[in-house]
Amino acid sequence: MDSERPLLIPLDAPGHWDEQIVGGKAAKLAQLACGGFDVPRGFCLTTWAYQTFVKDAGITAAIRMELGRKSMDDMRWEEIWDAALRIRATFLAQPLTRLLRETVAAGLRGFDTSTPLAVRSSAIGEDSAGRSFAGLHESFIGVRGRQAVEDAVRLVWASLWSDAALLYRKELGLDPAHSRMAVLVQEMIYADRSGVAFARDPRDIGKEHAVIESVPGPCSLLVDGVVDPDHWELDRKTHGIIAWLPGQRNDAEDDAPLLESRELEHILETLLSVEQLFGWSPDMEWTGRSDALTVLQARPITAAALDEDEKRTWCLTLRPGDARLKQLRKRVAEQLIPELEAAGQALAAEELNLLDDQQLADTIVQRSAAIANWKKIYWEDFIPFAHGVRRLAMYYNDAVQAEDPYEFVGLLRNQPLVAKQRNNAIGQLAQQLAANDVLRSAVERLLAQCAGSLHWPTFRDSLMRIADGAENFLRGFDVLNERFLDIVYDQERLHDQPEPMLRNLIELSRAPYASLGDESVAGVSVAALEKRLLDAVGPERRDEALDVIETGRVSWKLRDDDNLLVARLESQLLRALDVAAKRLRAVGRLSGEVHPNDAHVEPLVRALREPTTCPVTLELVAKVRPKDLSKASPGETPRQLIGQPASPGVATGAVRCIHGRGDLGKFRQGEVLVCDAIQPTMTHLVPLAGAIVERRGGMLIHGAIIARELGIPCVNGVRNAAEILKNGTLVTVDGHLGIVTVGAAEFDLELGVECI
Amino acid sequence: MKNPDEPLFDEGDIKDGSGATAHRAVRERIQQLADKQPYAVLCVQGEGQPYGALVAFAFSEDLRHAVFVTPVATRKYRLLSECDHVALVIDNRPNKPDELMEIEAVTVTGRSQMIERGGEFDQWAELLVTRHPYLKSFVKAATCALFRVDVVRFLHVARFQEVNQWIPSAHS
Repeated sequence: MDSERPLLIPLDAPGHWDEQIVGGKAAKLAQLACGGFDVPRGFCLTTWAYQTFVKDAGITAAIRMELGRKSMDDMRWEEIWDAALRIRATFLAQPLTRLLRETVAAGLRGFDTSTPLAVRSSAIGEDSAGRSFAGLHESFIGVRGRQAVEDAVRLVWASLWSDAALLYRKELGLDPAHSRMAVLVQEMIYADRSGVAFARDPRDIGKEHAVIESVPGPCSLLVDGVVDPDHWELDRKTHGIIAWLPGQRNDAEDDAPLLESRELEHILETLLSVEQLFGWSPDMEWTGRSDALTVLQARPITAAALDEDEKRTWCLTLRPGDARLKQLRKRVAEQLIPELEAAGQALAAEELNLLDDQQLADTIVQRSAAIANWKKIYWEDFIPFAHGVRRLAMYYNDAVQAEDPYEFVGLLRNQPLVAKQRNNAIGQLAQQLAANDVLRSAVERLLAQCAGSLHWPTFRDSLMRIADGAENFLRGFDVLNERFLDIVYDQERLHDQPEPMLRNLIELSRAPYASLGDESVAGVSVAALEKRLLDAVGPERRDEALDVIETGRVSWKLRDDDNLLVARLESQLLRALDVAAKRLRAVGRLSGEVHPNDAHVEPLVRALREPTTCPVTLELVAKVRPKDLSKASPGETPRQLIGQPASPGVATGAVRCIHGRGDLGKFRQGEVLVCDAIQPTMTHLVPLAGAIVERRGGMLIHGAIIARELGIPCVNGVRNAAEILKNGTLVTVDGHLGIVTVGAAEFDLELGVECI
Repeated sequence: MKNPDEPLFDEGDIKDGSGATAHRAVRERIQQLADKQPYAVLCVQGEGQPYGALVAFAFSEDLRHAVFVTPVATRKYRLLSECDHVALVIDNRPNKPDELMEIEAVTVTGRSQMIERGGEFDQWAELLVTRHPYLKSFVKAATCALFRVDVVRFLHVARFQEVNQWIPSAHS
């Protein structure tokens, strides 16, 4: 081993406290070990080991390619997560070199093979006095055996590029060429008490108070927020207890404090000794009590670092641990979704015309409040629970180490999504038209006559008169409309606008019927993927794996359903506003033709409640459209746009941009669907599309998953896609490479590529 | 008339004029440049129009073949399909004009051939991926084509105008 560039340093080796070599966590623990404090024995794989690994495996270039695909400032959180997942897969795909394996083996020589170990990140500058970046990188506990340690080491290295770290890339100074990470491997210490301690109260650093928190069991229970700790405040000078706040634990054996006063005294003395050693007030993680007290970590107390970027802080909350995910799964699947569904159905059944003005005003207010409440739940529960799919991704990739980091997506097929039930109903109606030429021609003719101003009762009567089979078709359409289209899309109720759906049905009747979840299209079967995972984890972890799969599936189903169910609720508010507007117009108290939307709740409610209110005029609220950020110079045209390869395949076709409801009915079979993002409300168009291009990026967004299920090429994360690409422009979508080539193809598309 | 890609000179015509030693030196310098530089300018032509594009490349050990990969939906792919006469320019130019005399460049001329999947594909793909591991999925993608250039000659340039030619087939 090069003594100038050591790959391994034992934790108790004197003088090796250079943070650039061993990282912040290990540097401080090494100092503590040499200062006579009890720390778990172990060793540090230095930053030189990281550099050796990434250089030999060619990973630096892979990271650069991943992060250079698009300006990171333009990436959504989901795209950053995808990039981190692919980087993680790159680290996992590269075995340690012989030298590094020998190094790990040398470090493990002092441990029995069955000894449980902690493999912890020790990044440079992660715990500076100015700011703590705790939680951005990964650590693993209970790791046993050389292979498991090697796997964990690679995952800790990969976490230098975790999604959370990428969010803070500027503050961390992340740079593929220079950033590096050390790894601590330590013996696990199991004790009946653990906790954190602050030499000064982090909420008021000026007070002469220290704070100690304790949980029964390992410290991870406290750090991960799984168990509520007992909390003490102590006087730094007298060591007396100032306050004790017991933790809220359901399984508490009794109400007695977790620590006795002499144990608190011992922790405080240790804390103050650590403070003396370092010269700064520490935030210390510990385990065990009295003489068996072991220091797990010490870093400077940082004042509650408020991130000015609220969105980023919120993103960091989207990574709930397994325990929290399980709680969320129960709450969401068993309580919230049924409640949301029932709320929509109850409101849809309400006969609004029977209400007087005051009652109508009340129901509008109630509906508006219900939507606000459900939107809050959407952000607080539904979106964090969406992490269940990501958890499945990491779990599957860690166990199977599949070459394709998105192989796990196959496990999500065949879920009974609301959108899929809707699409099946649409597919059956399209098949009715396909099987009855007379009926289809009649629908087409009537649609051509109305040209954008379809009057439903007239259409119904005419169709019944001229076509056999119309009654059955219209009955099916009514069911579709009531059950699935009573939703808001683009600030309007689809329920009231049957024309776009009728036009879609005509197109679908001409297209080959494609059912989502068709195994022949989708490749490896769900059962085969499940077996692959279960074989990889072994019988001991079978139940755990099945639980992760189930959480992933429920999470994925929710991710689709919640949008539709909230849209259904919004539709019920618009329905009530429509009734109010019609009522007020009929008596001359509402002027203008503006269609009411949720921005008009207040004036309409006021008018209903106060009959003397002067005639009300609704202000036209402009629909929110993405800004056109493209700054093209004269003569400049895009030739090749890059995004993320979200579904493999290649197809050429004319662009059809979907900006709003008015565009839905214009979509024709074989066109390239270009939009900001495919919403669950418009997934029925996907089977018609030759290819898909989206501005919103991510491998786990609706469009990408459905495109993969149907075998349709999809490129997403294309900046300003719906603004740059114009209707009718010929484009070639390469879903293998994530490229959209603009303009007529002046190349031969070989390899069996079909030009549409 | 001689085919423009047939050797113009025989071994005795090498500019240094010092026989085998000189040609080994030039070969080594070419090898060094090919080893150090990961990217080359690929020169193609079609309908009288020349066209250039940057590509990542790798040479076989004997320098008789180079490989690169391109998506099929590109101009260079179309032109390569029309005409297999190609050149690769590899150089180590810095960004400072006063370092002109430090520059080394080599122009490689030869004939390109698309390698069909199956057969020798894996062997040539491996050559490229070993040098450029980050291109692994790119090379595998169904919409990418792998090309092999069968080298006819190298023209090595140093010190602004000092040019040496090396023909691998003549010195096996």
